[in-house]
Amino acid sequence: MATFISTLWEGVRYRGGIGNWAYLFHRLAGLATLLFLAIHIVDTAFVFFAPSLYAHAIDIYRSTPFMFGEIALVAGVLFHGANGLKIIVFDYRPDLWSHENEKRAAIIVFAVTIILWIPAAIIMGNNLIQCNFLHLCGE
Amino acid sequence: MSAISSTPTVRKAAAPPTFETRMWQFMRLSGVLLIPLVWIHVALKDVIVGVHAIDLNYVQKIWAITAWRVYDMALLAFAFGHGMNGLRHVANDYFHSKSAQKIMAWAILIGWIVITAIGGIAIIGGVNMP
Repeated sequence: MATFISTLWEGVRYRGGIGNWAYLFHRLAGLATLLFLAIHIVDTAFVFFAPSLYAHAIDIYRSTPFMFGEIALVAGVLFHGANGLKIIVFDYRPDLWSHENEKRAAIIVFAVTIILWIPAAIIMGNNLIQCNFLHLCGE
Repeated sequence: MSAISSTPTVRKAAAPPTFETRMWQFMRLSGVLLIPLVWIHVALKDVIVGVHAIDLNYVQKIWAITAWRVYDMALLAFAFGHGMNGLRHVANDYFHSKSAQKIMAWAILIGWIVITAIGGIAIIGGVNMP
């Protein structure tokens, strides 16, 4: 347990700059997505195993806190993919890697994430307002 | 006395790839595949269709097309496999005892098999209309 806490804390405390932040967010986004995915596979399987419960599961996804969570999850998924691509490029082309390029690549990853996330967040946020606050979505 | 060669020595590893090498390759291969697979899935279900339009009828309509079942099967196999191996990787970073790592690896393997089976059976079985 002591090693767990020190490894966890050192990962946050380490002053590696933007590259270290990318590493931490990659982990966090990956774990959050996996947690969601495990739940999502089981509730989707309700369509076969317990179809009468499927509507209840979907109702939870339609709730306001879940929809906010989903908007955050999209940011995580976009970041994890963009950063993963960065990792793959540097793994297979180590000649491209330099301290400067690592920094530049991390900035590009954060920028791509934000650029792709904004339109998705606007549309999902609009759905949230229309359906949950104005009740304009048919049941 | 011979001059020191300026050309770097290229060493090729002759050993066959280990399990961890294979997993390393799988993470990169599945990672590349998951970018279109997951991003299209999220864009479709969460952004374009929206969770308020998803119900049993929607799933039945989508799974009437075999290609979408193949798509969802690929998502299940690559995304959940990638995630569970990633979890094993992260867990090994924080818990260093060999026995703890062994227990975690088995728990993750069993969890992966059980949940993949649940998802796989549902995709093949399709929607049971009540």
